[in-house]
Amino acid sequence: MIKLQNISFDHCIKCTICNVYCPVARVSLFPGPKQSGPDTERFRIKSPELVDSTLKLCSNCKRCEIACPSNVKIADIIQEAKWKYLKRRWFRPRDLILSRTDLMGKFATLFNSIVNFFTRRSIVKFFLYLFIGIPYQKTLPEYENGTFEKHFYKNYPDQNKFPDHVVFFHGCFVNYNNHKLGRDLVKVLNSLNVGVNLVKEKCCGVPLIANGYINKAKKNAQYNINSLSEIHEKSNFKIVSTSSSCTYALKNEYSNLLNLDNSAISNEIEYITKFIYDRFESGNIFKMKPVPLRAAYHSPCHLERLGGVIYTIDLLKRIPGLDLVILHSECCGIAGTYGFKKEYYKLSQDIGKDLFRSIETANPEIVITDCETCALQIEMNTQFKVLHPVNILAMAVKE
Amino acid sequence: MQRYETEVIVIGGGATGTGILRDLSIRGIDATLIEKNDIASGTTGRNHGLLHSGARYAVYDLESAQECIKENKILKKIARHCIEDTGGLFVTLYHDNPKYHDLLLERCKLAGIKASEISPMQAMAIEPNLSSHTLKAVKVPDAVIDPFRLTSSNMIDAVERGAKIFTYTAVNKIITSGNDSVGIECINKKNEKIEIYANIIINAAGIWGQHICEIAGIELKMMPSKGSMLIIDYRTNNIVINRCRPPADGDIVVPGDTVSIIGTTSKEIDYDKIDNCNVDDDEIDTLLKNGEDLLPNIRRTRGLRAYCGIRPLMAVSGKVKGRKISRGIVLIDHKERDGMEGLITIAGGKLMTYRLMAEKTCDLICKKLNRKLKCTTHKLPLPGSEKKIPAKQTIKHFSGIPASTVGSTFYRHGQRVHNILTKDKKNYRLICECELVTEGEIEYAIKNLNVKNITDLRRRTRIGMGPCQGELCAYRAAGLFNEYNSTSPEESLKLLKDFLEERWNGIKPVFWGDGLREIELSYWIYQGLFGLGDFGDSDTEEN
Amino acid sequence: MYDCLIIGGGLAGLTCGIKCAKEGLRTAIISGGINSLHFSSGSIDLMGYSADKNIIHNPFKHIKSIKRKNPQHPYAKIPVKTIEESITFLTDELKSEKLLFYNNSGKNHFRITAIGATKPTYLSQESVFNEQLDLALKNNTRISILNFEGFRDYYQEFAFSNLKKNSLFNKLNISSGSIKLSFLPDTKKHLLESNSIDIARLFETEKYLPRISEEIKKAAGDSTIITLPAFIGLNNYNKIHKRLLELTGLQIYEIPTLPPSILGMRIDNALKSRFSSLGGEFIAGDKAAGGEIYNHRVTHIYTENYTEATHHAKYYVLSTGSFLSGGLQSGFNKMYEPVFNLQFNWSRKRNKWYSDNFFSAESHPFLSFGVNTNAALHPYDKDGNVIDNLYCIGAVLSDYDPVREASGGGVAVSTACYAAQKIINGIKG
Repeated sequence: MIKLQNISFDHCIKCTICNVYCPVARVSLFPGPKQSGPDTERFRIKSPELVDSTLKLCSNCKRCEIACPSNVKIADIIQEAKWKYLKRRWFRPRDLILSRTDLMGKFATLFNSIVNFFTRRSIVKFFLYLFIGIPYQKTLPEYENGTFEKHFYKNYPDQNKFPDHVVFFHGCFVNYNNHKLGRDLVKVLNSLNVGVNLVKEKCCGVPLIANGYINKAKKNAQYNINSLSEIHEKSNFKIVSTSSSCTYALKNEYSNLLNLDNSAISNEIEYITKFIYDRFESGNIFKMKPVPLRAAYHSPCHLERLGGVIYTIDLLKRIPGLDLVILHSECCGIAGTYGFKKEYYKLSQDIGKDLFRSIETANPEIVITDCETCALQIEMNTQFKVLHPVNILAMAVKE
Repeated sequence: MQRYETEVIVIGGGATGTGILRDLSIRGIDATLIEKNDIASGTTGRNHGLLHSGARYAVYDLESAQECIKENKILKKIARHCIEDTGGLFVTLYHDNPKYHDLLLERCKLAGIKASEISPMQAMAIEPNLSSHTLKAVKVPDAVIDPFRLTSSNMIDAVERGAKIFTYTAVNKIITSGNDSVGIECINKKNEKIEIYANIIINAAGIWGQHICEIAGIELKMMPSKGSMLIIDYRTNNIVINRCRPPADGDIVVPGDTVSIIGTTSKEIDYDKIDNCNVDDDEIDTLLKNGEDLLPNIRRTRGLRAYCGIRPLMAVSGKVKGRKISRGIVLIDHKERDGMEGLITIAGGKLMTYRLMAEKTCDLICKKLNRKLKCTTHKLPLPGSEKKIPAKQTIKHFSGIPASTVGSTFYRHGQRVHNILTKDKKNYRLICECELVTEGEIEYAIKNLNVKNITDLRRRTRIGMGPCQGELCAYRAAGLFNEYNSTSPEESLKLLKDFLEERWNGIKPVFWGDGLREIELSYWIYQGLFGLGDFGDSDTEEN
Repeated sequence: MYDCLIIGGGLAGLTCGIKCAKEGLRTAIISGGINSLHFSSGSIDLMGYSADKNIIHNPFKHIKSIKRKNPQHPYAKIPVKTIEESITFLTDELKSEKLLFYNNSGKNHFRITAIGATKPTYLSQESVFNEQLDLALKNNTRISILNFEGFRDYYQEFAFSNLKKNSLFNKLNISSGSIKLSFLPDTKKHLLESNSIDIARLFETEKYLPRISEEIKKAAGDSTIITLPAFIGLNNYNKIHKRLLELTGLQIYEIPTLPPSILGMRIDNALKSRFSSLGGEFIAGDKAAGGEIYNHRVTHIYTENYTEATHHAKYYVLSTGSFLSGGLQSGFNKMYEPVFNLQFNWSRKRNKWYSDNFFSAESHPFLSFGVNTNAALHPYDKDGNVIDNLYCIGAVLSDYDPVREASGGGVAVSTACYAAQKIINGIKG
């Protein structure tokens, strides 16, 4: 049954263009977003028996939604159908590990050197493959020593001195796997005279949604909404994030997919480059020094969906000395946790092939991208180091 | 000139006509059916497809109600694959007179209809989209029936038992010898004359029965009453929702297959307008307004199309009109009424009682032919409904083919799905992506189900009945006509054009919003890109 | 602050954007969803039919007469010279992206449709019409209408039977046939469920080309010209088309069929690439949700993803397309322009929105509905005031029927260039 409020599939005029832009349909037997989304939604409403198992192939990259001229939330429809109808075993250790990034992070950052030591071993990877189905070819993300939160409060006690402030939703990746990005963010924002504040947060829920842990995702989402709206109400600070997927979830998926009321914060959340872009536009620019690098920029799917790519590009273009190649916008294939599953591993590699090739052709010194999992995928499949735009901005800050 | 002989001629390919044809074939009587259009193209295919429990009639017409519930139970057994047992609700909204609710319960009890009161909360749980202004609710054994499949199944069974059927063949003349009618002269689409001789001629032409009697020189007065309905793009409700008040415009929303239908208006029209009636804008306003009372958000959904049918009501007495005329069965032996031997008219009734009408007619035929043959149609399942098999099992049987495709084919054709689907890619590739119609189903329909054009194909398969109304599949269907029916390319394109005109006719009344966008794209493709309109003049199929 | 912010990235928006960006203006395009080039024929129509449904051979001559007959028509608001220049401009810009167009020296030519009709048009890609085909029509050439066996979105017999009867083709020796692709591996998407994009990608997989060519040659028999449904490559179209000609030794032409339109997407790709290489900023994935008008000027617009953040520009261009693209919207008994709620030409009665027959010779009234502008393409706000820094271009405009007139492409391109020039003059003073 469907509630008559949530009916974007009804706007589909069957133009079939979403199929053109679907990276999964391009390389597999996935019948495409049109068929899996709006077309068969009418049948799922009629009877849950009429659900196709090919739904699970959707990687939720949302390129269909970017293409759709009718504003159909195609990927959301498919995600919802996936967790509503597809049968899953209740015990799925692999999915649990992949989706509970915060739990894993908390644990692994305590014993990071041990964890990293083991996850680098091929024998461990082999057992991970054998027992829980994480492809052994994958490099697993390394963990930091302790959480970013802890480091932040220890190393940046003086954020109050700045006239402007933001709330930084650091997300799991910065917190557990990439402190450098967090530090660079503080550096860049401080150079713009903006102080950084943290709040209590939980994993944004993207991996939970992708793996069908909807109740947990809703709980996390509600926690984040409460925590962020509380501070916003008090202080009127904007909320920024360095993860395009977290941003998209906080801004749009909480309401569209999880049916939660995030109206108090949805307009206040900005992806970091948009926030910095707005400062730059209003004349608040820090002094820059040249960053003499040849870089290739890859735009992640969820940032495309957010319409935020131009802001990143604009910032990068302003950095003196940076020789920027903008890669043709394509999905890298990893789509969060999708590429970390052995059943989709080949698919994920096939999807990314064109991108990897165009990176090789561009032959840069580094690759820049906004998304943490895109970065993992690119580092794994090319020989290039991948940085976040904020890392580059931090390099350009003239102290 | 072709000439045939048979025992019984049935005029009219609606549910009643094909029902009679099937009943006769089962009894072993040779019969031929003549239909001026396609089967189920008249009133049969132009209602909301409710399998009445009889509750709607119980208050004013107890006899009809009793007939209904009896046939309801029979059809649920013999026509399983044409029926979805959704159940039904009668809901009293806050500005409705609550007395009608009590009356309904009381009269249902009297008619033997299992009606039980449930709380508004329970009703909302069953149907989340239901208006929150619901005061009272009654659950009744309503269901939905697909009239196209029902008629088609009756036809297949009759044909497989040796009956003949001529569609797109109109009766020109009743051939008489003295006072007796002995045959008919008809003319087909190619303008060929056909003469058929028979002992008995059955006029089962529904509202067009008046015309048949006219050409036989007999006066029979029908009271055409137009009913219009509006189709919503998808199922807004999974249970039949009736408004619990005296019958009025827009008092029902029926979930039919992948769509929901808001019914129905009632307007008297002149007999000479029955072939050219359209849905009026004010009827759409009425349907939407009343539909909105039952399902508050229904106006936000896409109206797919609107259509109207003519109730074949007989003028028995002059006073009552429209909805309140009895839906009782009228069986006329013209020997007794008008002194013409060999002609019988069956009229009145409703889709629900088609089988009973056929039974009564065939009983009279047997009496006249002096054959002691008993009716068995209440026991013998229609082709496709032989066994009670859950969809799940069939989906499993065809593993490898998408569940949605197998499930839909099974839903439409019952056990005949095994004659349709094979695990060959060409067979199960989708031609109509909205309604999941495969090439195999189209091939099967073209070859076995007496399909003459794409509109007929639509009635057998649902091709072009989804949100896009033929935007992509119509062109493909025309291509397959060329392939499977060796229809010439020119002819196939004409069929394509006619089909799109037929679709357009039903879209016009609900032409706004996403439907308008859809048409802009279709028009761009077929006229802008293809230039289909540049070929010849299209003659639109009658409404 | 942009110099020029264009809402809607279709043929009109992109053309306008390229022209502005080329003059060094800081230009951005916000485009919600793909444009209708994806459904188009891939030819650019200018003016194909007169009001009485006659085929027009000399479009510019006809456009001159429109100025008298229908002063509200977008063409009536633009100097004919600008229209001519805008077509040249578009052709040149596409050429610099290596997409070559045929133009019958100022006159219309025709394109063949998937059911074998011939429609007048002004610019066609070289693989759709060129001098050689024109020449072949005058000689007794063998031509074969081919399809790939099992492709469900094109039926060569329709094109074949109608072209045979077409007087333009009566000198030709026409046959039809189908190409077998049974050598393809099963693992990929099956040809039987493919649409044009899947086959275009097949052509782009270079290792298949020699085999495909072989099969094409087999199916072509002794014909020297063949037509295929349009999918000879998308991104590397030039290379593939050339290679195919070499491998087969045939002249190969493309016929557009059901969406997605590969021919249209080539134009889309070329224009987008041109726009960004000129420094234009293209915002996809977000959609203009509304705009503020103050004192007869647009002050800013906001988008769906950033309802509070705003975009500012000196000039704004509305090129959001017709109903199909969402530039115009209709509801139960109402129609409106969703971004600025501009004054709008439409009929209040909903049964006046359409014609009785789908294929009515008069087309349908709603196709001519749209935003009403003054002679400079400035629209009016709901109180009837001219909005000075907003231009409306392309299918969002009223008083022309792109299907009946076969004029959609021409109106889009010429209004785009006309508005762009005014903006450039405005910025540069």
